[in-house]
Amino acid sequence: MSDRSRNIAVIVVMAAMAAVLVLLVATAPSETDRVQAIGERIKCPVCQGESIANSPSSMARDMMSLVSEKVSEGASDTEIVDELLASYSGAVLLDPPASGATLALWLAPVAALVIGAAVILWWRRHPPESAEDETSQPDPRNRRLVPLLVLGVSLAVIVVVAGFSLQDRSGAASGVADLTGQDLEDVSNETMEAVIAANADHPQVDGMRLALAERYYDIGDYSAAFPHYLAVAESANATGTQAVTALVRLGWMAWDGNAEAATAIELFDQALAIDPSSSTALYLKGQVLWCGESEVDAAVDLFQEVLADARLTPEAKTRVEDDLAAARDGEPCP
Amino acid sequence: MRGRGLRWVGYGGAIAAVAFAVVLASRFGTDPGLVDSPLLGQPAPQFDLAPLEGGDPVSLSDLEGDIVVVNFFASWCLECRNEHEALVSTADAFADDDVTFVSISYQESPPASLDYLATAGRSEVTHYLADPGSRTAIAYGVFGIPETFFIDREGVVVGKIIGESDAFTLGAAIDAIERGESPGQTVTGDTQQAPDG
Amino acid sequence: MLSFLGSAGMVVALVGSVLLVVRGFRAARHDMTANLGGAAQLLLGGAVVAMGAMVLALLTDDFSLVYTATNHARATPFPFDVATAWAALEGSIVLWGLVLAGYTWFVFRRYRKHPDRLGAAALAVMGVVAIFFFGLMITVANPFEVCVQAVESGCAQSSPWPFATVNAPVDGPGPNPLLQNHFMMAIHPPVLYLGYVGMTVPFAYAMGALALGVAGPEWLRRSHRSTLVAWSFLTLGILLGGWWAYEVLSWGGYWAWDPVENASLMPWLVATAFLHSGIVQQRRGMLQAWNFILVISAFSLTILGTFLTRSGTINSVHSFTQSAIGPALLGFLVLTLVGSFALFSTRADIVATSPRVETLVSREGMFLANNLLLSVYAFIVLVGTTYPLVLEAFTGTQVGVGEPFFNRLAVPLSFLLLLVMGFGPITPWRSAPPGLLWARTRIPGLVGLAAGLLTALTVTRNGWVVLAVTLGVFVVGAMTGLLVEQATTRTAKTPETFSTAVRRVVGGDSTFWAGQLSHIGVVLVAIGIAFAANLGTHAEVVLSPGEAAQFKGYTLTFESPFRQVHPSKTIVGARLTVTRDGRFIGVVEPSANFFGSAESAVSTPDVLHRPGGDLYITLLSTPDNGAATFQFDTSPMIWVLWVGGLTSALGGFLAMAARRRERSASRVRRAADV
Repeated sequence: MSDRSRNIAVIVVMAAMAAVLVLLVATAPSETDRVQAIGERIKCPVCQGESIANSPSSMARDMMSLVSEKVSEGASDTEIVDELLASYSGAVLLDPPASGATLALWLAPVAALVIGAAVILWWRRHPPESAEDETSQPDPRNRRLVPLLVLGVSLAVIVVVAGFSLQDRSGAASGVADLTGQDLEDVSNETMEAVIAANADHPQVDGMRLALAERYYDIGDYSAAFPHYLAVAESANATGTQAVTALVRLGWMAWDGNAEAATAIELFDQALAIDPSSSTALYLKGQVLWCGESEVDAAVDLFQEVLADARLTPEAKTRVEDDLAAARDGEPCP
Repeated sequence: MRGRGLRWVGYGGAIAAVAFAVVLASRFGTDPGLVDSPLLGQPAPQFDLAPLEGGDPVSLSDLEGDIVVVNFFASWCLECRNEHEALVSTADAFADDDVTFVSISYQESPPASLDYLATAGRSEVTHYLADPGSRTAIAYGVFGIPETFFIDREGVVVGKIIGESDAFTLGAAIDAIERGESPGQTVTGDTQQAPDG
Repeated sequence: MLSFLGSAGMVVALVGSVLLVVRGFRAARHDMTANLGGAAQLLLGGAVVAMGAMVLALLTDDFSLVYTATNHARATPFPFDVATAWAALEGSIVLWGLVLAGYTWFVFRRYRKHPDRLGAAALAVMGVVAIFFFGLMITVANPFEVCVQAVESGCAQSSPWPFATVNAPVDGPGPNPLLQNHFMMAIHPPVLYLGYVGMTVPFAYAMGALALGVAGPEWLRRSHRSTLVAWSFLTLGILLGGWWAYEVLSWGGYWAWDPVENASLMPWLVATAFLHSGIVQQRRGMLQAWNFILVISAFSLTILGTFLTRSGTINSVHSFTQSAIGPALLGFLVLTLVGSFALFSTRADIVATSPRVETLVSREGMFLANNLLLSVYAFIVLVGTTYPLVLEAFTGTQVGVGEPFFNRLAVPLSFLLLLVMGFGPITPWRSAPPGLLWARTRIPGLVGLAAGLLTALTVTRNGWVVLAVTLGVFVVGAMTGLLVEQATTRTAKTPETFSTAVRRVVGGDSTFWAGQLSHIGVVLVAIGIAFAANLGTHAEVVLSPGEAAQFKGYTLTFESPFRQVHPSKTIVGARLTVTRDGRFIGVVEPSANFFGSAESAVSTPDVLHRPGGDLYITLLSTPDNGAATFQFDTSPMIWVLWVGGLTSALGGFLAMAARRRERSASRVRRAADV
């Protein structure tokens, strides 16, 4: 047998073997486990870098049993994956689609292969000019300038970007400690109640308590305001001003709501013990003495003391002056 | 001149390196594991779950018209223990405002969760539900607990807190929903992913 | 005390590296033989002292160091207490520094014997790298900070000043549970680092050559040889990593395209490309610029890999720490890339070589194809690993990229590489006469196809397995044919017997044949992966004590649950006996390990190694309430994968030894000529 015919024989045998091989492989019974295949495409949300098919964690196994249930219900792969992505987002898809935002991911390797092959072909045909062509030497200083420039600029950019990105994310979380420092204008009564209940022992909670109590007080809801004023008045952490405000309000509510003049006066006295110059405490005490106890002289003294306060607003001053005049004239309280 | 092309290859490499590094640098301080919930702005996934102690199931459709706060918790989660008091007080505070709190046990047997609630205390107006097979947790895309979802009166997910919540954050989110705003996603801290690490 | 010792070590090493840079550059510039010994000694001595202090602190339970207080526990047994020295971030940098100092010492030893400008410049470049790493240690990743305010099993406040008043905790929380589960964790990182850090040496020679403006064969020879060292260790390190994952991580896999794994694969791919293209430059004096680029890339990729896994910008199994080290590593990466590419540009005139490829059907053409495929391979890994990060930075869109993506691209690419690997060694340089190529392809091709048919008819008709076997047998067949051909030629000319002739052929070009051994290893890896990935089976079974389950011909009987309390951990597990056809095969004890006070458990699988394939048993739920859930896996032929990886690394080490022999032989010859 000649070389040539032997070669042809070998080629024929090879082709036949390859054909049989391809046939065998192509007709192999498909054993793809759809559940496993889908599971391998989904990242386990509670793990790091594992698919739900590969993770022993119980959450991953729950997700696998969901997938398996859906498969037996006859859902398509896309339906099942889409359902999981609808709740977990595309970030858990380990197998990004060759479309949209991840199209570039699939194109890049292909492009790299094509460009690489093109460069090899081009490079073989177009050798760089040979060494003999070398005539001019560029100024070496000039050559060094460019890399230095590139280096400097790049480092600057890095520093700036890193600085910005670190700065952006500082102070994102809000701790319990700064709760009461918040602007309370948009905060509902319920929220304030919840915060107060959850942070009853918090040293700064009195500010919020007082703000909430004032809201209740302003709409005349004394029973809602009462426990908060009381808590502030009894709080060891409350500031002097906060305590005085709370005591004064408690006093007035005792008189206005329950007509308990003696209790009210006691509370005003407590407030005055903390801040003897509190005009509100003095004035309200005067009111209660005048109206509740009919001690007009004592009331007159207190009204005069209030008027001596230079910080009084003109309206308040007018009002106290009116009351003073009425009391002096022996008129009944309004 | 010899090697002119190569010179530009070098400069190109340097510039590409800088550009790449700038992109990497912009990711400092971000948590790569943090995912924006795709549920925000979408109708909330339905659930129909039995309470931990058994009995009639509670479904989301039963709560239509309410603001619903869905919290996922477990006794093995430290952050959940920390936020428990805030959840209870907020649920109680908003009890009269058609705001319903639903706490769903995550990756834990109902008896274990009940034991925990017995010591930690529970809100009388909160539904404590079991989630067999984690189906609801999966539907809500829970990555780690605690996670808390806010559903407005139309049944749309409008807010999510990842990590330990406090009464102010919870209440402020509900206030925002009452005003017709969407609180969006807030990250307050770490979450725990599973009892076994 | 140990803090002082360690800090002193770091400072001494830093001083040594600065001296090395200053003196090395001076020596390289003025072409004088400066004494670099002092600097190299300081560097190595300091690094050894630092590592010694670290290990000593762990062995003596010295919790005054923050590192010990946060990563060690009294109960941590040997060898995990020593391994803790590199288990956490700061310690791993100390190991990096030590390995770097060791490599510098080897470069210096060569320089001491044969002082020249290139050696001095390379030492200076290594000094620059050492300055960065020891500087990193002293500033943002100081492993020798002392604890000044202890809390229960930990440290609340620390001071970098070794003489600060110490307030040490009584005990620490112990190392990350995942890392104290298998002895492999003690040796895997050092081996991997020998590979990783080893890439500094070829880089240093390349940069030295560029800085001096002397291109040509000399830098390439040294870079090539040192790459061989690093490559061999890296191969071994990657293999050990896969083995560790398989034995410990409970899912029966060995490779998950995890960012940490990718970080080690990228430099490996680029180094492999360089090992091949370096040969082209040695033999034909071309591709020099490309070789420079490959060497720069391999080194930069080790830094990039470290950045990706240590900065917390990418989530992964191993990214246990978020730290301030990220910006430092990124800055160094930019400095490296911009610096080396700028240097490359300024030396473009001497770097350029003329292509002399007559035809692509030649050994040169095969090497070009190999380099193209390997580069694209590395590019795929790089793009896949960083794409989510880049996309989110630009658009805020969050996507995931994982195993399915990588497999879809890497598998066809790997088969292409196998094909080129078969043709490469049998293709002659310059131009391959079609007749010769056909004569060398004919028989291996037939044998390969026959092996494929045999596999399809008797084992499996899975396409990937059949393709891997066909191509694998073809590759081995082709190289065997070449050996036979060369030996036969020899026996025709000399009175040698065939076996002597084979020995002489192999001994005559031992570097080449060592490389072919590595090729055999790669073939085995490919076949092992094809089998394990495509023919593995999987089942989840719930059993109560006393119950048995059938799985792939095995009978597994759940005998009893058990609980063992050790000083460092509590093990909750299940004991199963395995029989096959009534014959006892073994006992397996999959378990969950609870470490120290931590509530967290680490699931530990048990593997029954069998020649036909492993039986892999994982405990999915602990048998507290009687019944336990098990996962059974089979991994057919997985040992072929381990053997292949070892063979590949062995080929690298043998090639190294062969080059040493050739070098000393040529020196003897030169001496004889004189």
